[in-house]
Amino acid sequence: MSIEAALTYTFLFISLYLEVFLLVSFLERRKKGVLLPSQLPHVLPTVAIVVPCFNEEYGVVTTVKSLLSLDYPKEKLEILLVDDGSTDRTLAVVAQFKDDSRIKIFSKENGGKHTAMNYALAHTEAELIGCLDADSIVAHDALLRIIPSFSNPRIAAVTPGIHVREPKTLLQHLQNVEYRLSVFNRFIMAVLGSVFITPGPFSIFRASIIRELGTWRYAHSTEDMEMALRIQEAGYWIANAPRAIVHTATPDTFPRLFRQRVRWTYGWLRNAIDYRHMLGNRKYGNLGLIILPSAIVTIFIGIYFFFRILFYGAQALYHKLIEYQFAGVTSPSFELFYVNTSAMWFIIFVSVALVLVLISTGSFIGTGRRMPPLSTPLFLALYSFMVPLWLTTALVRATFKTGVRWR
Amino acid sequence: MAEDAVVDTRSARWQMYAVAFLITALIFATALYASNYFNDRRIADVQSTQDNIAIDILSLETQFDLLAEHSCRDISENSVLSREIQPLASRLSYLETQQGVDQDELAQLKRYYSLLQIKDLLLMQRVADKCKLQPVFILYFYSNKGDCKECESQGYALTGLSERYPQLRIYSFDFNLDLSALKTLIDINDVKNELPALVMNGKAHYGLRTMEDIEKILPQLATLKTATSTSATSTR
Repeated sequence: MSIEAALTYTFLFISLYLEVFLLVSFLERRKKGVLLPSQLPHVLPTVAIVVPCFNEEYGVVTTVKSLLSLDYPKEKLEILLVDDGSTDRTLAVVAQFKDDSRIKIFSKENGGKHTAMNYALAHTEAELIGCLDADSIVAHDALLRIIPSFSNPRIAAVTPGIHVREPKTLLQHLQNVEYRLSVFNRFIMAVLGSVFITPGPFSIFRASIIRELGTWRYAHSTEDMEMALRIQEAGYWIANAPRAIVHTATPDTFPRLFRQRVRWTYGWLRNAIDYRHMLGNRKYGNLGLIILPSAIVTIFIGIYFFFRILFYGAQALYHKLIEYQFAGVTSPSFELFYVNTSAMWFIIFVSVALVLVLISTGSFIGTGRRMPPLSTPLFLALYSFMVPLWLTTALVRATFKTGVRWR
Repeated sequence: MAEDAVVDTRSARWQMYAVAFLITALIFATALYASNYFNDRRIADVQSTQDNIAIDILSLETQFDLLAEHSCRDISENSVLSREIQPLASRLSYLETQQGVDQDELAQLKRYYSLLQIKDLLLMQRVADKCKLQPVFILYFYSNKGDCKECESQGYALTGLSERYPQLRIYSFDFNLDLSALKTLIDINDVKNELPALVMNGKAHYGLRTMEDIEKILPQLATLKTATSTSATSTR
C-alpha cells in the first residue's frame, strides 16, 4: 500500500470513528431519554443579558424586543445594551427603550466584544449573565428552558440551541443544515462534558464563576471559545439546553461567510495552542482525550481530502482533454464493470450516510422533528468543498499569527 | 416544561471508545470485503470473456482447417476481435488502475489476452492469404511502466480510430509483458524499445501518431466502412 493510500485510509478511519463515537454516545444517552423534564427553582435567579452593539442600528431593535418578550419575571431580568463606540445611529435607536425598567443603556469607547461583556459584568449584580448578539432573537421561553440547568452548582454555563434566522440565500440554507448538525454536536458534547465553545447568541454564565475565573479576554477574536476552555480547565461544567431556541443571522454571501469562518477557525487554532496542555490530557476526560484532539485533526483531514479531490479532479480533467485532443468526441457509454467499488468509496458512502443521520438527530433534538432541512442534499454535496477553503486560510494565518478582524 | 441539564460526566468513557472502535473496524472490514468481492467478480468476468474468445478462436481455427472442403464465404471475416477483444483491453486497463486487484492474477490475464490477440492475428493472416482478403490491422506496442509519456495519447488516438473504423483491427501489446510468444512477435516485426510503436503494413513507426497520421500511412482505411456508413447500411 502506498503512503498516500495509507494516509487516506487512516484519515477515513479517524473521521468515521468520530462519527460513530458521537452516535454511540447519543444512543447511550437516549436510553435515559434525550430531554428529561426538570424543575425550575422555587426562587428564580436574577439574570443580566448583555447586548454588545457596534454599529447595529438596523438589527438591535428586533433583538431587544425579543428579549423584552422573554417569559421571565420583570424584576429578575436586566437587559444591558452596551454601545461599543458605534459610529452609526445605534445609540439613538436603542434610546427608544430607555423607559423600560429592565433596560440599561451604556456607551463606551470601542474595544471589542469582550470589553463590552466585561463592562456589563462590572455594572450588574445579577447571578447569571448572558450575551445576545445584536443580530439574534430568542424564543420567549428560551431563558426558562436554560435556568433549570443551573441547579447543579458545578455548571458554569449553559448553551442554547442555535438556528439560522430566516434563511434566504442558498448559502444561508446550507448554513441552516450545518446549524442542525451543530445542535447535535453541542448536545452530545455536553453529554460528554466536553463543550468547548459558549457561542455569542444566548450562552448564559454563572456570574460568580466568571468573576472567579477572570473576565472575558480578547482571545484571538474568539472570546467565546477561550471562556469555555477556561471554564473546562477550572473543572466546571458547561451544559446545553437545545430547546432554548435562538435564531441568529448568518452571512448571506460567500465572502462574508468566508471571513466569519476564517475568524472562528483561526481563533480555535490559536486558543488550542494557548490551551495545548489540555490536549490528550486524561485529567480533562473526553474533552482532552477525544473532542479537542479531533477538533484539530479534522481540520487537517478536511484540508487533505480537499486537496486530494482537487488533485485527482485536475488529473481526470487533464486526461479527458488529452482524450478529446487525440480521439475527438467519443460516444459515451455506461457499463457496470466500470462503477468504482473501491473500499474508499464504500467508506465515504457510509460516512456521508452517518452525517445525514447526525443532521436528522440534530433536527430531532433541536426541533422535535426528525426531518432534516430540504437543502440537506445540497449541503452534503457542496459544503465539504467550501469548508476547506477557510480551514486552509485560517491554518496559514494561525501559523503566521496574522490576526483576524471581526468584520 | 424545561429540560434537564444536558451534561452527564466528562470522565473518559473507555468502554464507549472501544465500542466505537469495534464498529468502525467492522465497517472498514465490510468495505474491504465488498471491494474485494467486486474485484473478484470483475476478474471472473474478464476470465469468462477470455474463455469465450478462446472457444471462438478454436472454432475459427477449426473452420480454417475445414476450408479445403468449404468456400471462403463460410469463414467469418469479422472475427471475434472487433466484438470482444477490444472492450477486454479497456477492462484490463481499468483493472490495472484499481487498488486491491491481485496483480499476479491480472498479469496472468494480460498474458492470456495477448496470446489470444496473437492467435487471432495469425489466423486472420492465414484466412486473408487463402481467401485473398486484405484485412487492415495495426500492431500497437506500449509500456505502462512510466517510461512512455506519449502512450496514453497514442491509446486515445487508436480508440478514436477504432470508433471511426469499426472494422479496423488493432492489436495492442504491453512491450514489457513476460510472454515468449510476444517476444517472438516483437522480434519478427523488428520492433525496437522506442515506444509508442505502431506496426502498419509491415513497417514499424515510432513516436506518437495522430488519427490523421495513421490515415495517411494506411490509405486502405478508406476502403473500410466508417462508423456512420456502417450504422447506416447495417440491416442486422
